[in-house]
Amino acid sequence: MEQPIVQLKNLTKVIGKRKIIDNLSLDVTRGQVFGFLGPNGSGKTTTIRMMVGLISITSGEIFINGLSVKQNFEQAIRHVGAIVENPEMYKYLTGWQNLIHFARMIPGVTEHRVKEIVQMVGLEGRIHDKVKTYSLGMRQRLGVAQAMLHKPGLLILDEPTNGLDPAGIRELRDYLRRLAKEENITVFVSSHLLSEMELMCDQVAIIQNGRLIDIRNLEHGSKGDQAMRVLFEVNAEQPAHAALTARGKQAEMVAPGVVAVFAQREEIAEANEILVSSGVKVYGIRQQVKTLEDQFLEITGGEQRV
Amino acid sequence: MFDFMNLVRNENMKIYRRPRTYVMGGLLAGLVLIASLIWLAVSGRDTSMWDVAFFESMLMSGLVTIFVVIVAAASVAEEFSGGTIKLLLIRPWSRSKILLSKYIAVFLYALLMSVVLFASVLLINWLIFGIGNTGIEAAMMPAEAGSGVFVHILKFYGLKFIETIMTLTIAFMLSSMFRSSVLAVGIALFQILIVNNIASLIMFLKQKWVDYVLFIHLDLTQYLSGSGMGIRPGMTLGFSLGVLAVYYVLFMALAWLVFTKRDVAN
Repeated sequence: MEQPIVQLKNLTKVIGKRKIIDNLSLDVTRGQVFGFLGPNGSGKTTTIRMMVGLISITSGEIFINGLSVKQNFEQAIRHVGAIVENPEMYKYLTGWQNLIHFARMIPGVTEHRVKEIVQMVGLEGRIHDKVKTYSLGMRQRLGVAQAMLHKPGLLILDEPTNGLDPAGIRELRDYLRRLAKEENITVFVSSHLLSEMELMCDQVAIIQNGRLIDIRNLEHGSKGDQAMRVLFEVNAEQPAHAALTARGKQAEMVAPGVVAVFAQREEIAEANEILVSSGVKVYGIRQQVKTLEDQFLEITGGEQRV
Repeated sequence: MFDFMNLVRNENMKIYRRPRTYVMGGLLAGLVLIASLIWLAVSGRDTSMWDVAFFESMLMSGLVTIFVVIVAAASVAEEFSGGTIKLLLIRPWSRSKILLSKYIAVFLYALLMSVVLFASVLLINWLIFGIGNTGIEAAMMPAEAGSGVFVHILKFYGLKFIETIMTLTIAFMLSSMFRSSVLAVGIALFQILIVNNIASLIMFLKQKWVDYVLFIHLDLTQYLSGSGMGIRPGMTLGFSLGVLAVYYVLFMALAWLVFTKRDVAN
């Protein structure tokens, strides 16, 4: 089996007497967008800061590309590009000088590569202006540029959608998915914005109070022949319910004028036919999809703090 | 293996791409010019350029230290206050090397500022008073004259430079420990302004431990005055340098320990 790009093993961080991260273990496979979810204060940023060596590890290990961050930091970090919280650059330097600054710190990054990356993030027009004149969106793009300079195998982004407008978020989302797919870059992204994560990620880990609660794969596109809850909007729920159960369908009344049926794709049409033929008026049919947000609240019990 | 000098180049870029660096240099040269012109207006051209040069050097060397302290304190603290430390430390370099590159850059800046003062003091006064014009023979200087005067002023700058480096190191350490350039500059300024007063106060104490107080040794130009004796009986330049060296190692160790070990969290 291919070695996971990121491995957290029994990771623990204690600050004072508080356990911020508690025995967290996690494997991230290559080439995917991996979401790291949790409510505020659950330990997302702490974990990420340990991954990039900004804070020390109390116990446990982090391996990036099989290299220990604790023992072999300089080797391990070479394959990592990261933005931890906001991409803060040297405001008194130009965008170009900022990129040159970080390029000098990594072997093999040529001026040609810097030019290439400037084009990739679309900053050609303003790259020689001072960063203090940049808008937040431009700073974000410069942040992505500095993280991608050395073609890292792993891109770590901490709350990248903070402060972005919907268009910016969408742009970022498309960009990250493209990176993962075309350049085989693994993207490790933390967020508390679940609906965004749902659209962006292949797999998500959910943590709360520093503990791993769940890991799940998110499927994009059709769900095949899985049974799902379908809501029928009708003129009268009682006769509708009666007609459906009489024909052996699993149905329940959920609200005035709404009947829920647990059905596969084909059965939806059948149920509709039953309703229509027994004189019930159908105004609408829709799938009830459990969003990640619903699932998340279910798992974490809506409880946010210790 | 790629080059450590790249890190120093980065730190230099962060110093020399800022206008304030040139304001400081310009201020030094400008003040020297003004002081010389005032001297000229008061005493006329019948003055030794060495007298003026030495007077101005004493006057302005504190300013060099202040400028250097500002840059040294900003070097580490501003990375934290600006948040750029997070981008700086996640590169394939150990924290020690990053801190060392910063120290080297501010050290070079201290050297540059000292040279700027030295050059402008000599050049401006040479142009205004003329090198050959000895006037009343270098009143402020010790008995030696001619090339001896030049050696004397060189010695003065050398000793002052050691003081500047000590103060720079204190500011650098404070900046690394407290991550606040205001605090680092404040404490360093306090030290610059108060040091002579404290030194002249406690030098009269009889206790032996006073010999090991940092402030007694910071102003090494005390050894320039003829006898070569310090402000306390029995003190020699070698002894002062030894005490300073111990403090220097201590300050550097503290700066390094804190910078390499501490968590970078908000």
